[in-house]
Amino acid sequence: MKKNNIDLENLPIEARDESIQASDFTLVDNSTRVHEQKFQTKPTTFFKDSIKRFSKNKSSVVAAGILGTLLLLSFAVPIIDRNDVKGVHPNMIYLQPKLLNAGSGFWDGTKKWENIAVDVGEHQDATTEEEKQEFWWPSPEDFKQNAVSKKTFSDVTYTSDRNNYANGGYVQFGISSSSNAEYVAFTTHEISTLDITAGDIYLKSFELYDLTKLKAEEGEDKAFFPDNYSQGEVELYFNYVENNEEKSIKLLDSASSFSVTSPINLSTLITSDANVVANSITTFSDCDFELRIKNNNSGANECVLIKSLEFETNNTKKEAIEAPNFTDANELMLREYENGNNLSYWSCTGNKKLHMAKVIYCNFTYDSYEAVFGKMVMGPEKLFESDIDQYIAKGWCNFDYTIEYDSVNDKFVVTDFDYEMLSDKCPVKDITKVVATSDGTAVQLTGEVEYFRYYGYDRMPKFLMGTDKNGRDMFKYVFEGLRTSLLLGIASFIVCFIIGLIWGSVSGYFGGTVDLVMERITDILHGVPWIVVMTLVIKHLGQTFFVFGLSLCLTGWIGTAATTRTQFYRFRGREYVLASRSLGANDARLIAKHILPNAMGTIITSSVLMIPSVIFSEATISYLGLGLKGLSSLGVILSDNQTQLTTHSYLLIFPAIVIALLMISFNLFGNGLRDAVNPSLKGEEQ
Amino acid sequence: MLKYSIKRILLALMTAFIILTLTFFLVKSLPFKGIVSPQEHVRWAFYLDQVNKGYVIRTEVESPQYGSLLEKFVMDGKDYYFYQTPIVDQYFAWLKRIVTAWDWGTSTVLKPNISTTTIIGERLPVSVKVNVISVFISVPLGILLGIVAGLNKNTWIDHTISTLVMIFISIPSFVVISFLIYFFAFKGNLPMRWPTDDETGAVKALAYIIPVTALSFGSVCGYCRFVRAELCEVMSSEYLLLARTKGLTKRQAIVRHALRNAFVPILPSILAEFIGVFSGSMILENLYNINGIGSLYIDALNNSDYNVLMVDMAIFTTIGLLAGIILDLSYGFIDPRIRMGEKR
Repeated sequence: MKKNNIDLENLPIEARDESIQASDFTLVDNSTRVHEQKFQTKPTTFFKDSIKRFSKNKSSVVAAGILGTLLLLSFAVPIIDRNDVKGVHPNMIYLQPKLLNAGSGFWDGTKKWENIAVDVGEHQDATTEEEKQEFWWPSPEDFKQNAVSKKTFSDVTYTSDRNNYANGGYVQFGISSSSNAEYVAFTTHEISTLDITAGDIYLKSFELYDLTKLKAEEGEDKAFFPDNYSQGEVELYFNYVENNEEKSIKLLDSASSFSVTSPINLSTLITSDANVVANSITTFSDCDFELRIKNNNSGANECVLIKSLEFETNNTKKEAIEAPNFTDANELMLREYENGNNLSYWSCTGNKKLHMAKVIYCNFTYDSYEAVFGKMVMGPEKLFESDIDQYIAKGWCNFDYTIEYDSVNDKFVVTDFDYEMLSDKCPVKDITKVVATSDGTAVQLTGEVEYFRYYGYDRMPKFLMGTDKNGRDMFKYVFEGLRTSLLLGIASFIVCFIIGLIWGSVSGYFGGTVDLVMERITDILHGVPWIVVMTLVIKHLGQTFFVFGLSLCLTGWIGTAATTRTQFYRFRGREYVLASRSLGANDARLIAKHILPNAMGTIITSSVLMIPSVIFSEATISYLGLGLKGLSSLGVILSDNQTQLTTHSYLLIFPAIVIALLMISFNLFGNGLRDAVNPSLKGEEQ
Repeated sequence: MLKYSIKRILLALMTAFIILTLTFFLVKSLPFKGIVSPQEHVRWAFYLDQVNKGYVIRTEVESPQYGSLLEKFVMDGKDYYFYQTPIVDQYFAWLKRIVTAWDWGTSTVLKPNISTTTIIGERLPVSVKVNVISVFISVPLGILLGIVAGLNKNTWIDHTISTLVMIFISIPSFVVISFLIYFFAFKGNLPMRWPTDDETGAVKALAYIIPVTALSFGSVCGYCRFVRAELCEVMSSEYLLLARTKGLTKRQAIVRHALRNAFVPILPSILAEFIGVFSGSMILENLYNINGIGSLYIDALNNSDYNVLMVDMAIFTTIGLLAGIILDLSYGFIDPRIRMGEKR
């Protein structure tokens, strides 16, 4: 086109139209005749076009990718992973999921434990960090010490309940303000007969709670007196029965005189009692010691807190007298708890509880793999000579010992042994102890063993998704379950699709009475909740794969049939069908060759979402206790591990992720497919 | 309209009747073990009652032609044998009892000798309470989210809402419930299970949070998708363009024209949702120990208490059909042009 040079801006408006002259236009070159030409672009088919549309939908493509990966994994993993998931492996239960090496802090087979009580044992006085690390271990003993790392100890916590791992504390022994009793008593078990001349009895120690002293030691905030109680007065009595009459001798009284610096001889106090002297008694029957808390009727609750109380005697009744001794209040309370009505505790008429016993708690990281597969000491109950012989035969180690008969003690002894490891492959790293059996024909061994080699692994094994209560590898188990679920889904999809297609075609093509009758039948079937159908079928026929498929198919085809019917209604009156019919095509040909191919895209895409819903139904029915038997499916795995949600949550997290991923990607994929095949339905939600 | 409504209701009644008949035969043909109770007099009373109602036959000699023996009693030196009546006879006896006495059978395992209607009466209110609260929360929330997403179509707001809805609708409910319990009850402060009667009001109130949330998830997502789709369709329609052209503000056009029309298919499903409150979610009630009719289904199933199971199935079926009718009829009331289920 020639460019015109007229200045449009400066022309009056009316003149502008006229400013375009005929000379401004040039004609198209028509010297050559334009013939029909072949398309420059390649012709496309409906299928290719759909694929193109589908690939434009990014989320659907990603979903298809995930779906493909899951499908691949579900078939590949059960083949590649050699771990056995059928049997029970008691030594490998509840291993945490592990992907990275231990110490990475995430997905590394370790678990952080918090506030586990420490069994301090004899080392409660450990003060330096080194001592604590060495002697303080979390209890109970299920925690293997070699698997515990990164221990940190929290400050001392005080407990008012008896606790297996607490120590120290005070027995709080009180009388309530509402009580009318003169005193409450804290009595030792009855000593049947006691001859006071047969040996002296000493009060060796008696320590009461001293708030001022404790505040200085423990700090203001930690030393405290029980709420609503005030310090009571305490007395020690010796009780006996004389001529069916109960008598008491007061041995000591008031809190002050109890500060035992040197042992107090109780025998002297008893034998100097006026009544005893007057009646010249030396042997007492039904006697016991008794602490009394006096009731001052001051309107307040009163109590004493006793830290320790010890008698010492060389009397013939030593055992009975010393049995109620205690230096650790928590230990006394536990003793009572364990022994029940035994002579080794103090019975009480008032209220009795523990006060300020100390518990130390520990936070630590526990590597379950170290606990099972690490290097540990193996005793004779597991380490047999035959094992060693095997390793020797493989050339991994050498082991020699000599047994001699010790005629003095009449037994066999191992005088010398020598162990030498030749290869790193050998599970037994060292033999530490060799003991001869009583007949001298064999030995019992104790040694250090690398357990993973003992179990036949070359390296420390890794379980990506951990192991469950039967020691099954969850990684393989979950994908086996996925495979079952997918197979079930796809199989019932195919069956339902075929049934639905036939039913819908007949109903939609013929219409009229046929349609009406068939519709009523689908109405009835549609009215039964699927859960009722599945329950009844499974109850009648058993919990097998085939029955599951059958019960899912009983009502599953209705959706497909409905879509097919609608599509047939849509196409059966079209001109091309009429044309074909007038050319003599029969019903079967019209259905199969003309209508169905046109309707197929819509039918398939709207039916494919049946697969995730079947997987979902199967999982739901497993939760009702009617899951597949003998086969693992995602639903079975999830419902089996449901109870362990709080203790081993990973057992649920991994299958849940897989099933959620499967559902999400299936739905996205299905929607994308529908949009691609059926652009007119785009955006409509199913 | 009246004729249409009556036709629909009669049709649904017939469907319900056929389904219940089929269910009855299928349930009754499961191996029945008789009543489970440690006291002999309870069992004796049960069987005598069943004989009166026509479900069981009493004979004084062994009669294997009636199938397997339910139980043998020795009373005053006489032998009594109890057998099940043939299923067809039981069926007519059952129909008669329902019509004349509204008696749907007697529980045999869960609560021996108590009528199933009493058990349902105890269990139903719990389920309804939880469901009603969740409907009142989830329907408005779902509609609100749907409107927000629909009005902001193809913006980041729409994409976020749609993606979340997609994700939550895809995750199975038992997974959601499990993790709600794990994070909010085990790690948080909410109760781990449905409280018993003697717990404090605060605990009882808190116990609603997890079940209501769990039930709402699916519902919120469903309504959100539904409303968004309807609204998107309406927003691109020509009458809305006309409304804007004639000078209505966007707000007026949306409130008076778009929303009203979008709600034509939404309102019926809300009504149907209210019928749905009478059924219980089996998995939720099982996982959270709620004694509703959903968990009753599982209890009856696991204990083989088939009479209770039968009634529970009947309830679920009836509610499903009823919701369907309400849905179809209310369509017609709201928009008289629509006749759902009629010949086109």
